Amino acid sequence: MKKVVVPCSGIGKAFGAVSRETTHLLTQGMHSTDYRTVCLPLLMTDDTEARQVIEESEVYVVDGCPMKCASVVVKHAGGKPVMEIIVPKVLAVNKDHRPATVLDIGEGGRLLCEDIVRIIIERGGKDE
Amino acid sequence: MSFTPKVGIVSCSGEDCFGGGVSRMATLEVLHRLRPTDTVTICLPLFLAGSGGEREFAKSFPTITVDGCAKMCAAKGTAKYSSEPAVRINVSDYMDDPCSKVDGVAKAGEVSVVVRRVASDIASHVDRLRSQWR
Repeated sequence: MKKVVVPCSGIGKAFGAVSRETTHLLTQGMHSTDYRTVCLPLLMTDDTEARQVIEESEVYVVDGCPMKCASVVVKHAGGKPVMEIIVPKVLAVNKDHRPATVLDIGEGGRLLCEDIVRIIIERGGKDE
Repeated sequence: MSFTPKVGIVSCSGEDCFGGGVSRMATLEVLHRLRPTDTVTICLPLFLAGSGGEREFAKSFPTITVDGCAKMCAAKGTAKYSSEPAVRINVSDYMDDPCSKVDGVAKAGEVSVVVRRVASDIASHVDRLRSQWR
């Protein structure tokens, strides 16, 4: 089954940028053969092709805040996420990995992205 | 004393298209550097996921949508869940094939030029919308 990671890409806070850069690590780095992504706004507009990808894939959602926008939109589009990660909850485990700003998440933010990548790869499909 | 509303800017920030990154960078440039006191933003998916209050956004603020490709998801989503945007910007009008993968340092200069052009046009629209309000 295809693996799709969907970030909220929230533009108001650094955590949204972390969700986005985490997705880049999975889809453009060494794991790019296993993971792809779909534009979240495309799911909002009920795009048929994007909905089909979501319905037929193992979906990992990365949200920047407890509003869980990406999860809500994925479910609206018919997807059933196998894992729903909320970035601040991951930060709570290692508070040193705090992102700087939405413009530049900084070294702490990059370490937080790597934490989330590890969670997805090592615990894939088991939301805890 | 007259009231002039801030202008809302809504970026698609689409993850699967390079133009989505351009839309996001240009929007952030306006919000943080070019017109920080005249603009506000909202996360596009909040229109669907948020409570009813978020859907008032484009009714309360004249809104500019910034899309990374011709699918115009931010414009469509804003119109569907909030209200018709005042201006619809499409990165496809500034670069060829914005959804192709861009690799290498060679493209970095081109991208920053496009981001600056899009941001500059957004800022001009912000000024126009605010001046028309008076």
